Amino acid sequence: MNPILEVRGLTKRFGGLTAVHDLDFDVCEGEILGMIGPNGAGKSTTFNLIAGTYPATAGDVRYAGDRLLGLPAHRIAARGVMRTFQHNRPFAGMRVVDNVLVGAHTRFRRRLWSIVLGGAREEERRQRGRALELVQFVGLGEHAQADVGTLSFGQGRLLEIARALAGEPRLILLDEPAAGLTPAECARLAQIIRGIAARGIAVLLIEHDMHFLLPLAHRVVVLNFGAKIADGLPAEVRAHPAVMNAYLGSHAPAA
Amino acid sequence: MQDFFELAVGAAASGCVYGLIGLAYLLVLRPTGIINFAVGEWAMLGAFGGFVLLTKYEWPYPLGMVVALGILFVIGGSTERIVVRPLVEKGAPLLAPILALLGMVVVYRETISSVFPPDPMPVPYALGMGRLEFGPVGGTYQSFFTIGVTLAVFTGAWFFFERTLAGRAFEAVALHRRAAALMGINLSRVMALSFGAGAVVAGLGGLLVAPNTSAYYLMGVPLAIQGFTALVIGGVGRVEGALLGGLLLALAEQLTVRYAPIPSGYAQGVPLVLLMVFLLLRPTGLLKAKG
Amino acid sequence: MVLAGAAFFMGDYHNDVYRKLLLWVTLALGYNFLFGICGQVAFSHFAFYGMGAYSIVIFLFQFHLPLPIAVICGIALCVLFALAVAIPSARLEGFYLALATLALGQLFIVVLNEGGEITGGTGGIANYRLPEIFGLRLRGPWYTAVIALLVVATYAVLARLDRSWFGRACRAVRDNPEAAAAMGVDVARTKVIAFTLTSALAGVAGMVYAFVDNTVNPPIFGIDNAFLLLFMVIVGGAGRHAGAVIGATLLFLLPFWLSPIVGHHQALVFGVLVVLAILLQPAGLVGIYDRLVRR
Repeated sequence: MNPILEVRGLTKRFGGLTAVHDLDFDVCEGEILGMIGPNGAGKSTTFNLIAGTYPATAGDVRYAGDRLLGLPAHRIAARGVMRTFQHNRPFAGMRVVDNVLVGAHTRFRRRLWSIVLGGAREEERRQRGRALELVQFVGLGEHAQADVGTLSFGQGRLLEIARALAGEPRLILLDEPAAGLTPAECARLAQIIRGIAARGIAVLLIEHDMHFLLPLAHRVVVLNFGAKIADGLPAEVRAHPAVMNAYLGSHAPAA
Repeated sequence: MQDFFELAVGAAASGCVYGLIGLAYLLVLRPTGIINFAVGEWAMLGAFGGFVLLTKYEWPYPLGMVVALGILFVIGGSTERIVVRPLVEKGAPLLAPILALLGMVVVYRETISSVFPPDPMPVPYALGMGRLEFGPVGGTYQSFFTIGVTLAVFTGAWFFFERTLAGRAFEAVALHRRAAALMGINLSRVMALSFGAGAVVAGLGGLLVAPNTSAYYLMGVPLAIQGFTALVIGGVGRVEGALLGGLLLALAEQLTVRYAPIPSGYAQGVPLVLLMVFLLLRPTGLLKAKG
Repeated sequence: MVLAGAAFFMGDYHNDVYRKLLLWVTLALGYNFLFGICGQVAFSHFAFYGMGAYSIVIFLFQFHLPLPIAVICGIALCVLFALAVAIPSARLEGFYLALATLALGQLFIVVLNEGGEITGGTGGIANYRLPEIFGLRLRGPWYTAVIALLVVATYAVLARLDRSWFGRACRAVRDNPEAAAAMGVDVARTKVIAFTLTSALAGVAGMVYAFVDNTVNPPIFGIDNAFLLLFMVIVGGAGRHAGAVIGATLLFLLPFWLSPIVGHHQALVFGVLVVLAILLQPAGLVGIYDRLVRR
């Protein structure tokens, strides 16, 4: 399998605090890589480093061979790395389908002068069709024309995913997508994520909820205090002594 | 050289007024994040308060000043309650109260212009018209009065923010509204107080500058710009920044008028040019914020 | 559709008032795009309007340039200043742009007043006429038609941009700049383009304005009018083209109806209206209309 994302020696220091220390891992195309760890383990920081929200202190992140570190967020998205947000961030003034269309921003080709002269209709129509398909894919089909404000929390999560997919990513970063969802919604989400991976897209998934993550991920990386403590198949990780240690007292994994 | 000192005192006095306006912005900006363009109009109201109480009714200066500022406190607080609070409670975006306050600028200005005749109205000097000389340094009583009062206000403000519990409450609200509320700080009271205090400080500025410029209904916007420029120059993070910025701005203005080989009308442009320069090159101002 | 609009406007040979109204509508449409759709607060729109007006008069009659060159130079001047303000502000918080444009607006007036020979100082410039274009002398109702064309063209440009990915990007920047960046939108660039484009449109409108009264002087382009423009867009309904049109029309015509009652203080009414609009119906008059339609 081809690794599309290669992280080597990723380190982030905030003043005196080392949030992420010398992290190494890969994500392959079509693979679902889960990243877990107790609170404060450095998962979100790693996520934000890859997505371009923070600058890294040291290390290298390669996406399809290109350096990702140091690029601004919008360039990273243009390369094909899309992300969702932990706390829903919809564009409040727009409809659901329009939100998704913003995700497709980097896929539009028409130049401004061409738009002014009236030449954008064809592309609009095509992209709108794609966006509607994506809305269907996440199960929000009937809400496509609705105001984002009318969506429930769970539906908002799905919108985040549809929006990220609109960018035609080859790597998608999901930030705690299951947080706050009902069990039924979780099941639906897992199905959607599998669908995404089946399309050949690499998925990097941060999650707290082991019950959700372990059955879903192909491989799992475990962080604690900013460093990787385990890396492998879910079954291996579940039984790993260091992992059990880290979670002891809070979140002991089901045997 | 004599010339320069003369200029310096005058500039210091103007600078103090700008600093006061800048402080007025800060008092509202810190806890609420709202840029209140209406501070200029509050200054204008202060000036008119001075005219009505001191010139028209000839009250003694201290009494007139206190009452005028008291009225301004009420105006500031009620503006907050009527215009700002409903928006904040509704969860409107930060832009909404800022725009509403812009609407209030027009409301204040037009109300005054309909109540008073359009000519500039005289406002009396605090200590009468006289001059004080300290060796080479000389200036009018009003200048020294202005400087003295301003220093007192700023010392008080600094003390309040740095040393008192209430002042810390302001800071806390600025940093994180929800956390502050959870810790028992009464948000609405803080907000009402900050608006009231801002109005008082701005009104004071207007009252202090009015003897020289007279009270007229258009004086608000230029003062608002000058006050804001003072803030940008000095830095939004610290109370002293507003005063420093005001003094630098006033000095720049006076020097330009006196020594630059361009027509005097351009003096109006000085704050604007400085504002743009600072916004472009050093938007955080000269003084760094604490911690 | 475009032609039908122009023909309709031509039928109404009113006069001066109508032309001014159309110009305000043009400005409001542009400002609405910048403020309502892209979420940028700016007070420089009128300064660019003035820049366009003054520049075309100066280039034509002081430097004696041929009309097309004068137009291009005027637009270039507006674009230059717009970029000078927008590029540094794009990376800062919204209120920096607001203050920088307020300063620019004031500075523009100061420069006009002190401009002596070139700008005609506080009195401005007057007594010039529009030169012949292709041998045609555009007078009276024909000039009104030109203005109508301007409105329609401005609307066409803005509406098309609005419906495209650019319009969506602007809205995304308005609603949630961080998420917009994560979706690939270059936030700074979008802001700069929106600002420069709408400012240039205001400049063009200014050029057209110069020949309406055949006089230009500083007070016309002051910040009072900039505030009024903002109020128009808010009361009408920010973010919707219809809102800009309604707001502009209403606030422009209101003084005519109000002056018998309120005399000179219509500005007070505007201020109160704006505050009420923000408190009670932030979506503006268009929002009220929408609600009625939905019932």
